Amino acid sequence: MICSLGDSLEEIVDAVRHKRIRLERVPFTLASLPYTKPYYLIERNVTDKLHNRSEAYFYEVLFSAVSRAFLDAGLDRTEIRDMNVFFGSTSMDVPVFEGSHRKSSSTVSGIFLRSSYGYGKIAGAIVERFGIRGNCYSFATACTSSANALLYAAAMIEEGLIERALVVGYDLFNNLGFYGFEALKSIAETDYRPFDRTRDGLILGEACGAVILEGKRRKTGDFMHLGGANLCDTYSVTSHDEEGFAVAETMNRALRQAGILPGDICAVKAHATGTENNDRTECAAMRVTFGCEMPPVTCLKPFIGHTVGACGVNELILFTESVKTGFVPSTPGFREVDDKLNLTPLTENMEAGEGIFMLNYFGFGGNCTTLIISNKGDRE
Amino acid sequence: MSEMYIHSASSFIGGENTDPIFLKEKLSSYTEENFRRVNRFILLTLLGARQCVHNHVLDFDTAIYLTTEHGNLGETASVLDEIYTAGSLPKPFGFINTMSNTAAFYLARNLGVRGRNIMVSSQHLSFERGLELLQVDFALGATENALIGGVDEALLSRIALEEQTDRVFKMVNGSGWLYVKSVKDGACGEFSEIRSFSDGHACIKWITERGKSNVDVVSFGALIDADEAAAMKEILHPLAEFDYLCDYGYSGSATACGLGLFIMLFHGKTLLHINRDQRGHFAVIEVDRY
Repeated sequence: MICSLGDSLEEIVDAVRHKRIRLERVPFTLASLPYTKPYYLIERNVTDKLHNRSEAYFYEVLFSAVSRAFLDAGLDRTEIRDMNVFFGSTSMDVPVFEGSHRKSSSTVSGIFLRSSYGYGKIAGAIVERFGIRGNCYSFATACTSSANALLYAAAMIEEGLIERALVVGYDLFNNLGFYGFEALKSIAETDYRPFDRTRDGLILGEACGAVILEGKRRKTGDFMHLGGANLCDTYSVTSHDEEGFAVAETMNRALRQAGILPGDICAVKAHATGTENNDRTECAAMRVTFGCEMPPVTCLKPFIGHTVGACGVNELILFTESVKTGFVPSTPGFREVDDKLNLTPLTENMEAGEGIFMLNYFGFGGNCTTLIISNKGDRE
Repeated sequence: MSEMYIHSASSFIGGENTDPIFLKEKLSSYTEENFRRVNRFILLTLLGARQCVHNHVLDFDTAIYLTTEHGNLGETASVLDEIYTAGSLPKPFGFINTMSNTAAFYLARNLGVRGRNIMVSSQHLSFERGLELLQVDFALGATENALIGGVDEALLSRIALEEQTDRVFKMVNGSGWLYVKSVKDGACGEFSEIRSFSDGHACIKWITERGKSNVDVVSFGALIDADEAAAMKEILHPLAEFDYLCDYGYSGSATACGLGLFIMLFHGKTLLHINRDQRGHFAVIEVDRY
């Protein structure tokens, strides 16, 4: 995983454990706006600065994250060759076109319309780079993109259709997203504070995460996908029904598919964008699902930002790697309970052992996805 | 494979410069909803899918699988121009519509369904990969009714095709849809095979080893060359080839449109559709039309 916290899992988990974040401010130069907004940027060295980025940089970050996932999983060449690729992103290769524009006299749209190969291009680049012969599936469901990639990779393995999957969530900084969310007035001024009374929006982040799924555990502590669900809340294209019924139904179906009860959940990783609507809806949905037996809730976006379509994979990695080292992360920045939500996320790290966990993801277009994962011993 | 019955199909194919106003007018014969702030991609999605399920009462839980090569990238280009050329923040709905799954959302809302809502792409095999996802969901019981379609605009389809083949097709705006259920009652056809192969040899071997084939009609995707097509026809001895690409034109979602057309045109026949991507991966879909 490569994100604003670094490019090694040890470094990233250590930052999460100690609530260290790295937030920068980015100007709206193109629109000549007289202010900046925060952003969680990847910066591994000086060449990572936004104005230096190129197509080569885009693919270097991607291939680096994928290489590390292969290495960490201990896959041999044959296992890599035969795997299938599931890719999820909101921006896809828009950052490449924006980068090319800086070195060309053409308009971005001109470059885009002359050379766009469609949503499947990035997964195609992965299989070409690593000599993978399996199939590619690229998901474009806004902020649930890579969560849905995980959902289907797991389902295909469960059905015995494939043995192994590489699942990648990747969204790099792009002006389309940054200016777009500003146009929606969704970006917070300074700090990321989901569920807090003083929350004022989301803060975008960039990240590339890669996970390997297969039918059997390789290492003690590896997580299993127990079940999941995806549904569409048709309330609004940009927000969810604040009573939370559609979101709750997604959680309940995921629980049923996993064959467990709400009381079996040890902790919930909330989607928690920090926007007024998301947090109200999500709290309402959790109350419908869990009643007064609400499990501990954590919000991971204050660590790495809202990585939009990439958040499915990246927040899964952040969560599972933290639990592997013994804790469920707290939520940095939370200060004041919102009486309307009446929910306090974890403010201190919670000791974690074996358990079953719920991960929630929601997106534009009413997309709702819930994943249920466990690090308990192999199920019979 | 899980039983996947086709209950209806449609194929909307519009000329390269189909006007969104024309699409809106066509759509108004299927729904009274007035769609504002929607673009050509969304209108193509709505029109193709509404044509498909016209006269059907859909279950609340019906899933939607929208497959595409390029999605809303046409709108994305316009929004990039707002930012880079006009130097302004984009219009909110323009930005929201750069996310292609908004098309599947508007469709779900218009139809009043709340099942799975997935948008998937895979270079030159997007519809085939979408069908595989649907197949898994049927097998796991995640859904029992689904609308699966392929939608692409002409504008962006040309680029990805020209790099890969010398064949020249008329470029069209395409929206092909199939309404698929796990129950047979009322069906007009079924999927009898959905398979993928890592190369052409494996595909030909499978076709050969199937032995006596009941395939009446074959059709080929845009990247299947003349020699590959000839080799497969030699084995299959079909009654006919359905060359929907020459007859109706090409879009990134030509496969979905071709299958929709087959259901509409070939009663009582079995189709084997063979496609490949630029890597040489092959995919076959066999459809029995009752």
